[in-house]
Amino acid sequence: MSVHLIFKSLLRRKVVTALLLLQLAVTLGLVVNSLLLAGAARQLVEQPTGLELEQLLTLWVKPTSAAMRLEPALSEVINRQLAAVRQMPGVDSVAYANQIPLRQGGSNWNIFEQDRQDETNIESVPYYNSSESIFQVLGIELITGRLLTELDRGTTNIVMTEKLSRQLFAEQNPIGKVTNNGVVVGVVSDFFSQRYASDAFYGQILMAPLHRAEQGYHLIVRVAQGQSDTVRKQLTEVIRNAEPQMDIGTVLRMDENRDEVFRSEIGLATLLAVLSGLMLLVAMISAYSHAHFHALQMQKEVGIKRALGASKARVLLDVLSESWLTTAIGAGFGILVCYGLNISLAKVISIPAVPVWLPLLTMVLLLLCVTLATWYPARIATRISPATATKTL
Amino acid sequence: MEAIIHNLKLSWFSIKRAPLPYALTLLILSLGLGTFFSNATLYYWMNRDPIPEKSQTLFMARINSLPGDCTDCLEPSRVMSYMDMQKMSGSGITSAEAAMFSSDAYAKTLENQQATPAKVALRITQRDFFALFNVPFLYGEAWPDNKARMEVVISKNTAVKFFGRIDVVGQDMLLDDQLFKVIGVLDDWSMLPRLYDVNGRRSAEPTEDIYMPLETAYDLAIQSNTQNSFTDVDWDGNIATYPHMARTNFANMLQFWVQLDGPEKIQQYQQFLKNMVADEKAAGRHPRPEGNRLDNILDVQKAMRATNDQLDAFALVASLFLLVCVVNASHLSLNRYMANQYEFSLRRALGASRWQLQGQILADVFVSSALAFVAALLFARLGLWTINALLPGTRALASWDWQMLAVMAVFVSLVSYLVTLYPALKTSFSPLNQQLKQ
Repeated sequence: MSVHLIFKSLLRRKVVTALLLLQLAVTLGLVVNSLLLAGAARQLVEQPTGLELEQLLTLWVKPTSAAMRLEPALSEVINRQLAAVRQMPGVDSVAYANQIPLRQGGSNWNIFEQDRQDETNIESVPYYNSSESIFQVLGIELITGRLLTELDRGTTNIVMTEKLSRQLFAEQNPIGKVTNNGVVVGVVSDFFSQRYASDAFYGQILMAPLHRAEQGYHLIVRVAQGQSDTVRKQLTEVIRNAEPQMDIGTVLRMDENRDEVFRSEIGLATLLAVLSGLMLLVAMISAYSHAHFHALQMQKEVGIKRALGASKARVLLDVLSESWLTTAIGAGFGILVCYGLNISLAKVISIPAVPVWLPLLTMVLLLLCVTLATWYPARIATRISPATATKTL
Repeated sequence: MEAIIHNLKLSWFSIKRAPLPYALTLLILSLGLGTFFSNATLYYWMNRDPIPEKSQTLFMARINSLPGDCTDCLEPSRVMSYMDMQKMSGSGITSAEAAMFSSDAYAKTLENQQATPAKVALRITQRDFFALFNVPFLYGEAWPDNKARMEVVISKNTAVKFFGRIDVVGQDMLLDDQLFKVIGVLDDWSMLPRLYDVNGRRSAEPTEDIYMPLETAYDLAIQSNTQNSFTDVDWDGNIATYPHMARTNFANMLQFWVQLDGPEKIQQYQQFLKNMVADEKAAGRHPRPEGNRLDNILDVQKAMRATNDQLDAFALVASLFLLVCVVNASHLSLNRYMANQYEFSLRRALGASRWQLQGQILADVFVSSALAFVAALLFARLGLWTINALLPGTRALASWDWQMLAVMAVFVSLVSYLVTLYPALKTSFSPLNQQLKQ
């Protein structure tokens, strides 16, 4: 059948065709944007963090007695908890800290080089008040200088991540530089600290006195490979046994913390993926019923064609090519919808721009779905025998 | 009446004759409606006016008082310091005013001292809080002034949870090992969205269990569990010096609410803030540019950047999906009516008027609406369940009241009518001869 004839037949059913095209166009627009968001969410989640996520367990705790949140009782409790965890089989090392990496936000200080506040000030840099085992627990490496030890407790010595040091001191040797938060004694490899800090990979580590734990504190446990499930099962019990007057949060593996940080993005991408699936399903149902209905309506026409010598394959192709043509035109409009929707979505959330290949790929996907849905009604149409179809003529 | 029953019967027969196309139309329509309803439910709860009787008079006030000479810093901090609060209070213009922040503590009763203390949510605030947001008291009353006192107001549920009864005014309880007297019990009260504190996107959280005087909290060194921002604070962490430090430094954690009855009062209070900032600047304080904000309670989510963007994006997409489904369903229903066209024409040939046929079509709409409403509600529940599992902070926003159900029912009927309208017109007004000839 020529394209011209299909056009004519489509124009005869203007309203139906317009509805069909509108629906196909919106479907394409939505599927493209959902794929974009899903891709962006995936990239966020899979970015390197500088941490061995599967080997780190984290746990928030807070003494339920106010007195125990103050020194000296606080240090005594923490030490008891650390000792108990260290003895668990499968545990490599453990540290406490005021906060853990891979979070949305948390405790931050601004930092600048002494006497150069105007040129070097960086707002909102996460700080970790912790113990000397923190480096081993997080598995971060020393780049230059030295790590902190218990001897640094109470001094103003700090260690910072490489990215922060480079931002503050550029190519200069950072060791011995004085900042508003202390003297730099070491630089360590970067790790994903806080998503909404000035930079996700900025971090400063120090060992200040604890004073109080009004917001509770975190325990970070590094486990041997493959031991995270075993340790996780016992961890809460071990902490409770070490000190019963304790509010204990949920034990999370570091990759679960990561998923929590990006939960909104992952959630929206999943929701849109589900909706895209539904849209494709709706498009398939519509293609199916459209073809089915026309196969019945066109019975006589098909019969005549068959009587005049058209092969079954030819009739099949006729029905399919009408579907293909409508899908292609609908998808053509869909490219406009997809850019329009992209612009509207970009006003509320961050979404990447549409690359040229994506609408084309989605168009192929749509064609595939429509072909699949049209196949069965098209087959029925070919089965009509010329004799039956022309009986009423 | 008989005619209606007859029409309904006919509708039923026509469905039974070709159940698959009908089921598909219904499926598509209710899928679109269900998705739309699940999103609309969340959107409604996130954006409704929780206190319509006085929302026009409630404002959150902020000033741009942070230290540091920064000419680009035009936006005030989300939370204010104790000093800011003192400067913004006592204007004589407001009908009620209260500063506040959220925190938590571990509570138990005196009788049950051996029990493990239970975590409770605290609202640290001032006397006028209850008047500002129309919080109903069941027993007792709020504090007589804003001074520090070891007295708390508790919610009805908290009273039941700790004492097993509700009239507990005069009872003592331990909060973080400190002894407090209960001076008031609130009646059931909730505010959704919880617009008096949206910082940290916590507007979908429930109202608090226990309300404590602000001055007492400062004395006891209780801090906010949402946002504490220290700027140029030099403090050694010694708990004994906290009360003084927190009252005299930029240790910001407060939100300050005022009630201003009428545009005149609003204008007066704005002028009051303006004059106050000018005085501050003259005294060598308030180095940043003037950035006074007086945000109405209904704009506060936007002002604090606490809106749920994912929900907004999904709203856009869900509306498009509804459009696709409606378009699709009308397409399918057109096919269905076309298939029935012969029957319609035959009826007209036998003397049925066009309006009698319209009656038949209305019966169809009624049956479809009823079925689509039930199916859409099922899909909407499924949708809400999925959204709650996927998007954080949406769990409290998933319930329906009778009003919402009624609006949804009307909406379904309208859409069903729309979907049937064109096909119905086309079939009942098509040339009779041509149809019968076929």
